[in-house]
Amino acid sequence: MTTSDASTGDLRRDREEGWIGGVAAGIARRFGIDVSLVRVAFVVATAAGGVGLAAYALGWLVIPAGDSRPARVRIRTGRAAVEVAVGTAFLLLAVLLTFRALGIWFSDAVVWPLVLIAGGGALIWRQSMGGSSAPAARDPARPEDPRTPPVDPRTAGAKSSATEAGRHAVAVRETTRAAVAISRTGLGIALVVAAGIVFLQATGALGAARDVLLAVIAAVVVLGVIFAPWVVRLIRSLTEERAERIRSQERAEVAAHLHDSVLQTLAMVQRSDNPAEVAALARRQERELRAWLAGRPAPGQSSRLASALEAAAAEVEEQHGVPVEVVVVGDRDLDQAHEAVVAAAREAMTNAAKFGGGSPVDVYAESDGQRTHVFVRDRGPGFDPGAVPADRRGVRESIVGRMRRHGGRARVTSEPGSGTEVELVLEARP
Amino acid sequence: MRPDLASLVAGFCILALGVVLLLDAGGTIDLRFGGFAPLACAAIGATLGAVGMTRPR
Repeated sequence: MTTSDASTGDLRRDREEGWIGGVAAGIARRFGIDVSLVRVAFVVATAAGGVGLAAYALGWLVIPAGDSRPARVRIRTGRAAVEVAVGTAFLLLAVLLTFRALGIWFSDAVVWPLVLIAGGGALIWRQSMGGSSAPAARDPARPEDPRTPPVDPRTAGAKSSATEAGRHAVAVRETTRAAVAISRTGLGIALVVAAGIVFLQATGALGAARDVLLAVIAAVVVLGVIFAPWVVRLIRSLTEERAERIRSQERAEVAAHLHDSVLQTLAMVQRSDNPAEVAALARRQERELRAWLAGRPAPGQSSRLASALEAAAAEVEEQHGVPVEVVVVGDRDLDQAHEAVVAAAREAMTNAAKFGGGSPVDVYAESDGQRTHVFVRDRGPGFDPGAVPADRRGVRESIVGRMRRHGGRARVTSEPGSGTEVELVLEARP
Repeated sequence: MRPDLASLVAGFCILALGVVLLLDAGGTIDLRFGGFAPLACAAIGATLGAVGMTRPR
C-alpha cells in the first residue's frame, strides 16, 4: 500500500520565499510541490474570470503567516512531480472549460495564449534558475542511484570496480540531468511558440506573420553562413577553457583530499611503533579511500553539520591526543559545500593539534541557514602565514583553496607567540 | 489499515462520471461536449494529482 507523506505541518504563508504574500510558497511547502506550479496555477486561474486572483486574496486573508523559517521540505521529484503537474494542468483545464461554458470568459484569443505562455514560461524560467527535480551531481545524503551496479568490497580488484562504479554513477546522473534540462526547456519553448501561433491565428494575423517569419529565417541563414566559422571557434574555445577549469578544480580537490587523508595517515604510520595501531590506521584509511573512490559517504559520516564537526574533532583528538572543544550554534544538512567546510575545519583542527604545542583547540561554529561561520583557535606558538613554503598544501589548498572552490572564504590569523585563528565563512547561494 | 488515497479518488471520479452518464442516458440531463469535457478533465486531474501526492518522497 502506498502511504501518504504529504503532511509537513500546518499551512502557513511563506513570506521569505514568496513574491507577494507568500500564499503560493506556503501551499507549495505544505504539500511538497514545486512553487512554480502553484504560481502558474494562480495565474491561469486568474484567466478564468479572475478566480485565481480572488483565490489568492482569500488565501492571503485566511492563511496565517509563518512566524519563523520552517524546516527544509523535500520537494517531490521525478515521476511524482510530473504526475502532480499533469494532474494540476487537467484540473485547471476543467476550471477554464467550465468558466468558458458559463460565459465568464475574456476571449479565446487572450486566455489560451496566456495559459500556454504561463506554462512554457514557468518551465523555461525554472530551468534557467536551476531546477530541483534533476538529480544533484553528488549528494551524499541521497541514496545511491539504483541503476548503479553494486560494489562488493570483498571481491578482488574492488578498488578499480569501485572507481568504475563511482564514475558510472556520476555519468548516469549527469546524463539524466541533461535529459531533464533539454526536455523541460524544449517543452517550455514549444508551449511559448504554440501560444504565439494560437494568438496570431485567433487574431487573423497568422498570414502576415508568416511573411515576416520567412524574411527573418532568410536573414538568419545568410548571417549564419557568414559568421558560422567565428561562432564555432568561439564556442570551441569557451568549451575547452571550461573543461580545463573543471580539470584544474578536480585536480585541486583530489590533492586536498589526499593531503588530508592519505598523507596524514602515512605521517602517523611513520611516527607509530605499535604494529596494531599501524594496522588499524591502515584499515581505517582503506575504508575511507574506498568510500571516496566509489562516491559514497565515508563510514560513520554524519549528514548534519554539528555532528560532522564533532566527529571530526573527536577524530583529531584521538589521533593527536590534544583536547578539542566544539561549540555549535544552529545546525543544517550537509551539502557538498558544507562538506568542504567540515573538511577545511578538520584540517585546521589537525594543524592546531600538530603545531599548537599541545594547547587545547577551540572550535566555534554558527549556522543560520543563510550563512555558516566556523572558527578554529589554538593558543600555541603561532606562525607567520607569509613564510609558509610554497610546497606545503595544508593551509593553502586544504583550507583556503578548498573554501574558495566551494564559494566560501577562509582567513588565517596568526603571529609568532600569539596562537592561530582560522575563520571559515560560507554564504548561502541565492 | 489506511485507505489508499489514489484508489479512493479514482473510484469516486469513476462513480461520479458513471452517475452523470446514467442521468444523460435516462434523459434527466442533456450532456454535451461542453459539459462533459470539464468533468472528464477534473476526473483525470484529481486522479493523477492524488497518485502523485501519495508517492513517497
